[in-house]
Amino acid sequence: MNASAFRARFLILAFLVVSPLAFGADSQWVLDQSTLTYHVSHPLHQVDGISHAARGKGVCHAGECDFLIAVPVKTFDSGDSNRDLHMLQVTRGAQYPMVTVRTHLPESAANDAQIHADLDVEFAGQTAHYKDVTFQLSAQGNEKRLSGTIPTKLNDFKIDPPSLLTMPIKNDIPVRVDMTWKQQ
Amino acid sequence: MKGTPTGVVAAQILLAFALSSLVGAQTTTTLSGTVKDPKGTPVPSAKVSLKNSSTGQTTEATSDSQGAYHFADLASGEYELTTSASGFETKTDIVHLQSTPQTEDVALTQTGGPSLSDLGFNTADTKGNAEEQARLDKRTHMLKIHQKMGLITAVPLAATIITGFGAGGHQTSSSTRDLHVALGGTTAALYFTTAYFAIRAPKISGTETRGPIRVHRALAWIHGTGMVLTPILGIMAFQQKSRGEHIHGIAQAHGPVAIITGAAYRGAVVSLSEVLTRGVYQGTSSDKLEICVRLLTQP
Repeated sequence: MNASAFRARFLILAFLVVSPLAFGADSQWVLDQSTLTYHVSHPLHQVDGISHAARGKGVCHAGECDFLIAVPVKTFDSGDSNRDLHMLQVTRGAQYPMVTVRTHLPESAANDAQIHADLDVEFAGQTAHYKDVTFQLSAQGNEKRLSGTIPTKLNDFKIDPPSLLTMPIKNDIPVRVDMTWKQQ
Repeated sequence: MKGTPTGVVAAQILLAFALSSLVGAQTTTTLSGTVKDPKGTPVPSAKVSLKNSSTGQTTEATSDSQGAYHFADLASGEYELTTSASGFETKTDIVHLQSTPQTEDVALTQTGGPSLSDLGFNTADTKGNAEEQARLDKRTHMLKIHQKMGLITAVPLAATIITGFGAGGHQTSSSTRDLHVALGGTTAALYFTTAYFAIRAPKISGTETRGPIRVHRALAWIHGTGMVLTPILGIMAFQQKSRGEHIHGIAQAHGPVAIITGAAYRGAVVSLSEVLTRGVYQGTSSDKLEICVRLLTQP
């Protein structure tokens, strides 16, 4: 290999290494594991419905990331199939089978211990906007663990509170989020 | 109106008035709202279309500089409100219009991020199924009736069992037996009507049965069988008593079968009222009574 050929190869290699840093690399985050838990309060008892079926992806470009997390409504399990079917009915889960959450974050947020995200939650055919929702972020090796609570309310999605023993459940149905993300 | 006879003008006014009265007789309403982006900023020039779910008739509007749109002269009912704008994902909402003017703001999501197909969901996962939703709606409706009638049935059932203790002994009068028979007949009629709403409620395929409903169903086999056997045995016992005989043979099982049936029925009701069975309920007996009264009296 002569000197000019070596120099040319070195320049190409240097460009390939440096260019992503200079122009903002495209990177992706993929949801590895998740537990989403909705909590229903009733004057007489409390119910938690859990789903591990969420899928999510974050696409980053030029330091900005768009995230989408989606979970089928029917995958939430409260331990009682009869109650789950009633919940599916009241949330119009057959007509609108997915819950989706979208957010936009700076890529640098991955280094923070706490992030504040604006969320668009689409559920039961309605979209609700939640501003400045706080999540805790911690690193576990190559992974990021995110946890927090989305303060969802039934009337944000035009859902009439179902009743048990003629008493309606509370309007607040906070959704606890525990997720592990992997960068690719 | 130059040259128009006064009578013709008056007739035209009267005709217009009559027509407007006819139009006014139909109940129409309006739908308006604002199209916004994820940050709440109004989105102008968004295309908004409104489709009547019953008739399929579609009306279109465009949002103004403030993101506002407006539809007038709408019949009440269910509509699909579809909103699209450049740079945003098309969004469809279901709106139920009543007779009063309604406001429906639309929050659009910007395109550019990942999509549901990027997450590996296929169209079958994400597409809504109106027929399945209708089945769920019907199921819930029928099971609500089943629940309410089941609680109502518990009252004559308990009364039948109580009067049964005084209907079969040596000292009983025929009027006590007649009351017992009347209550038993009422119970049976209510019971089978109650059962009808559970049996005929649509089944949702692909649903694994979990939780207290399994106990409820298992107990239904016991009280269901009992509800068939008890009246048959009761008729046999009634006939023996009417002939002045002691109750004998298989008819002697009428009382025990009735008690087992009543116990299984009570268990089936309690199995679904987990607040009363799992120790979560902290109320007093008077609270329970109040709940029962509300269940029986509220629509």
